[in-house]
Amino acid sequence: MDEMQEKELAAIRKKLKELLVTSLSLEDIKPEEIKDDEILFGEGLGLDSLDAVEIVVLLQRNFDLDVKNMNEGKKIFYSVDTLARYILENKKK
Amino acid sequence: MPENKGEKIVVKKRGNALGFWFFRGVFRIFGLRAAYSFLYLVCLHYLLFDRQATQGALAYIKRRFPGKNFLSARLQVYRLFISQGQQLIDRYAAVSGHAAFDVQVVGMEQLDELLRQRSGGFILLTAHVGNWQIALTTLKNLNRKVHLVMRPEDNPAVERSLNISRPDDFIRVISPEAELDGVIQIMNALKAGDIVSIMGDRKYGFDGLAVDFLGDKAYLPYGAFTIAAAADCPVVVLLTSRLAYKKYLVDVRNVFNPRYQNVPRHPRPDVSADGNRPVGPARVSKREELRGFVQAFAVVLDKYTQEYPYQCFLFSDIWKK
Repeated sequence: MDEMQEKELAAIRKKLKELLVTSLSLEDIKPEEIKDDEILFGEGLGLDSLDAVEIVVLLQRNFDLDVKNMNEGKKIFYSVDTLARYILENKKK
Repeated sequence: MPENKGEKIVVKKRGNALGFWFFRGVFRIFGLRAAYSFLYLVCLHYLLFDRQATQGALAYIKRRFPGKNFLSARLQVYRLFISQGQQLIDRYAAVSGHAAFDVQVVGMEQLDELLRQRSGGFILLTAHVGNWQIALTTLKNLNRKVHLVMRPEDNPAVERSLNISRPDDFIRVISPEAELDGVIQIMNALKAGDIVSIMGDRKYGFDGLAVDFLGDKAYLPYGAFTIAAAADCPVVVLLTSRLAYKKYLVDVRNVFNPRYQNVPRHPRPDVSADGNRPVGPARVSKREELRGFVQAFAVVLDKYTQEYPYQCFLFSDIWKK
């Protein structure tokens, strides 16, 4: 991954954290407090499938992205970093 | 839908291949009424020997008919079993095409209009009332794929009853146990303009919200409303009722548009409202708003059971947390 892509990935992570906080009403958590590799569901940030619904919509509305491969759902939704990488790799040119 | 990890519901399946074969045979040779007549004996067997089914039905009967004594309550259960048996036979007769049924649909024009106005799909909220499988077949006219959210162990019975066998059938299945993948499939289906059918009266081990139903607090799932609020899609309640011999009514007039109105923007405290993790005012507010949506659905179900008391096949104690 070149420097340009690293910068883009960092920007996506930042935006994702902000969107997670607002979309999921996590007002007591500041976006910068969410670690890149923090597990989103179950342990870690403690999200549940109710929140997964919001994240799917968040991806659709903000990044124009659908998760097509059902089998990869768990991998993609693992952390902010995995989500950001998925967005970077699949964003529409 | 947050999981209640400690609760894994296993629903005992009733009936067997020989039983289905017998009723199919009687129906094909002697007709519907003859098949119905054998139900009195079979249902008596279930009433006397299937304690789980009887207890499950009693949870509903005791609330729908409060004050009934031991014998009278069980007579109501017997009547309920017979009513369900008749609808199971009708379902086979209708889906197999061996008998014609008069199925009236109310609210379809409103539903057509709703679909014309929007590109996305909608959630079809069903319940264990009436013969929802018969109703689903009438939805073929909408020319949309229907995705049934149901557990894998329920697939064979439902697939058989709906005659689903080919991958290109208009009805498909999404497992709620697939968790994130299931959520993704549901959201993709709604975006594609499809119909997602969700049972609104069984938690199947997931979390539920307490709402008033038949004079008591019942615990109903709220996943359908969570999805609808996020996906900005309507929830259409599907009710069916058996009006008379070979005559059914499908009612899709009840449409909800669940949207969060009042999610406050202030910090949440470090309190655990319902279990495993901190839940602050914003999320509590979301749950309370969801409770309002679920309550509205419970009111619809309540009204239905007042009108059709022997067509509510909730053989599970939804009043128990």
